[in-house]
Amino acid sequence: MTSPGPFAAVGEVGKGFIQERSSDTLPCQADPSNFFCWDWAKENIDRYQTPTIQHVELVLIAVVLGFALAFALALIAHRRRWLQPPLLAATGVLFTIPSIAFFFLLEPFTGRGRDTAIIALAAFTLQIIYRNTIVGLANVPGAVKDAARGMGLTERQILWKVELPLAAPEIFAGLQIAMVSTVAIATLATFVGGGGLGEPILRQGIDFLTNIIIAGGIAFLMAIVFGLILFAVQRLLTPWRRAGAA
Amino acid sequence: MSAAEATSETQPQPGASSVSYEGATKRYGSSGAPAVDQLTLEVPAGEICVLVGPSGCGKTTAMRMVNRTVEMTAGDILVGGESVRDKDPAQLRREIGYVIQQIGLFPHRTIAQNIAAVPQLLGWRKERTQARTAELLELIGLDPELGERYPAQLSGGQQQRVGVARALAADPLVMLMDEPFGAIDPISRERLQNEFLRLQAQVRKTVLFVTHDIDEAIKMGDRIAIMKEGGRVEQYATPAEVLMAPATEFVEDFVGADRALKRLALMRVADIDLWEAPLAYVGQATAEVRAKLAQPDVEVPYPLLVDSERRPLGWLSERDLRAETVPAQPDSPLGPLLDRDDVMRDALADLLQGEAQYAAVVDPEGRIDGVLSVEIISEFLKSPAAKTEEHSAVERPHD
Repeated sequence: MTSPGPFAAVGEVGKGFIQERSSDTLPCQADPSNFFCWDWAKENIDRYQTPTIQHVELVLIAVVLGFALAFALALIAHRRRWLQPPLLAATGVLFTIPSIAFFFLLEPFTGRGRDTAIIALAAFTLQIIYRNTIVGLANVPGAVKDAARGMGLTERQILWKVELPLAAPEIFAGLQIAMVSTVAIATLATFVGGGGLGEPILRQGIDFLTNIIIAGGIAFLMAIVFGLILFAVQRLLTPWRRAGAA
Repeated sequence: MSAAEATSETQPQPGASSVSYEGATKRYGSSGAPAVDQLTLEVPAGEICVLVGPSGCGKTTAMRMVNRTVEMTAGDILVGGESVRDKDPAQLRREIGYVIQQIGLFPHRTIAQNIAAVPQLLGWRKERTQARTAELLELIGLDPELGERYPAQLSGGQQQRVGVARALAADPLVMLMDEPFGAIDPISRERLQNEFLRLQAQVRKTVLFVTHDIDEAIKMGDRIAIMKEGGRVEQYATPAEVLMAPATEFVEDFVGADRALKRLALMRVADIDLWEAPLAYVGQATAEVRAKLAQPDVEVPYPLLVDSERRPLGWLSERDLRAETVPAQPDSPLGPLLDRDDVMRDALADLLQGEAQYAAVVDPEGRIDGVLSVEIISEFLKSPAAKTEEHSAVERPHD
């Protein structure tokens, strides 16, 4: 299962928590036609704890960094409209590079490890968050901004008190997509030694379905939980959207 | 003109400032024709000045130069004697109410928060802001409970009322209103116009009101500035003056062929000299009535039957007068009965619809005040007397 080869480096970061166990040779596991081995799962579930924590860290740090950068870029481009097409193109290129290639392309510059993974993951989120922020700001009705300006709000007050609150639903939608897709893509972090839930998948073997289902299932649940949290925060921050028409 | 000037001089408004355009010009781009060309006009404090004209005449641009949401290229505008150029734009705008056609309420703020927007910017204490918000909700006739709602939960008419309340919140010296009732259905618009005039009678702000609708201009304005493409004012005068003596061909076309009728909409029945009918009481000897009719200066050739309180009952016919005494049941029904406060145009419509030559006009107690005829109205329209019948917008009939 841990044969050297193209993935020889796998597990550098996670050394020590994916260990061979006696249960690895249970009969259920030996037969590839078995879909899910409950006994193995029960005995080995603890082995996923560290990769799960790593995964959460990867996702959170990458999304926070991505958000900070993309949000700042969007605010700059909101005032300087000529910046919008080039920024969209630039973030678009980062978004379009195949993820796995991007990890390896970065490696010569940033070395192996979590930092490289985070940089790549954050770069992926830029396009989604940037575009949604720009769209959200553009969708604020002109009349509302006109009224705000006419009442004596400064440009800064218009941005923070009117435009951003009204753009919040779109910004959160972007964050949600970025978060969920980062949870998925972060399983590739292991290729550059970034840890995460990709680790047990590669380490424990890709032809052992029980392992794939557990690791994949945790990632799946994580995506749902993050998505729900963001949804709840968005609802809390935008009470006016729930108020039905009279 | 003279009456309007007198109004502004005799009633200086502490809560309002005059607005003076002094050759204010707006040019977009470096060359190009000006959008507003050397505009010079004076809006006295506490009056509604309507800027009216076809689209592209620069009326909105002219209005927006006051709060510097459009920066003028040349000239100056003084608000209360101070140049708008000397103030910080945001600071200036907080002293000037702003209402636009699309209302532009903040969808993410409650109605109360919307109204409190400018007081908050000005740093009012919370209690003062709350008290003011409650006061304004009452002023615009909105249930205080609606203060907790969001704009999307209100009807268009309610939203526009809130828009006006929000503009009034910090007691501005001047109000700018850009087609404020333009996006509202005709029936609600009429009601909002009337409500605003009633409100204006209380608050007496200086209002710059932009519209493309000449009827709205006539109804709302103490003065009307009729503008033509290129941002030039063709005539600046009171509504009656514009209707009676259009300064140019453009104004005449813009005002329309029915300007005589429009003038009638500005007046009440009480504004005109009525005729007197010979009165007859039930049981009175018909000989006395006939004697009254025979007098040379009689204005109405029919006697009007009234009760002991001088409330009209009907018209007496020749046959009625052949009897010994005046009967309780006259031959001819009363026909249209008008109130002193009726709008002249409606009174004319009543006369024409009732196919009546004369209509009795009564005071609020229902007692006879005089008689109106089609002849009186047509004589009035021919005479220049209308000029003296000036009312400010808030005093004119608008119900």
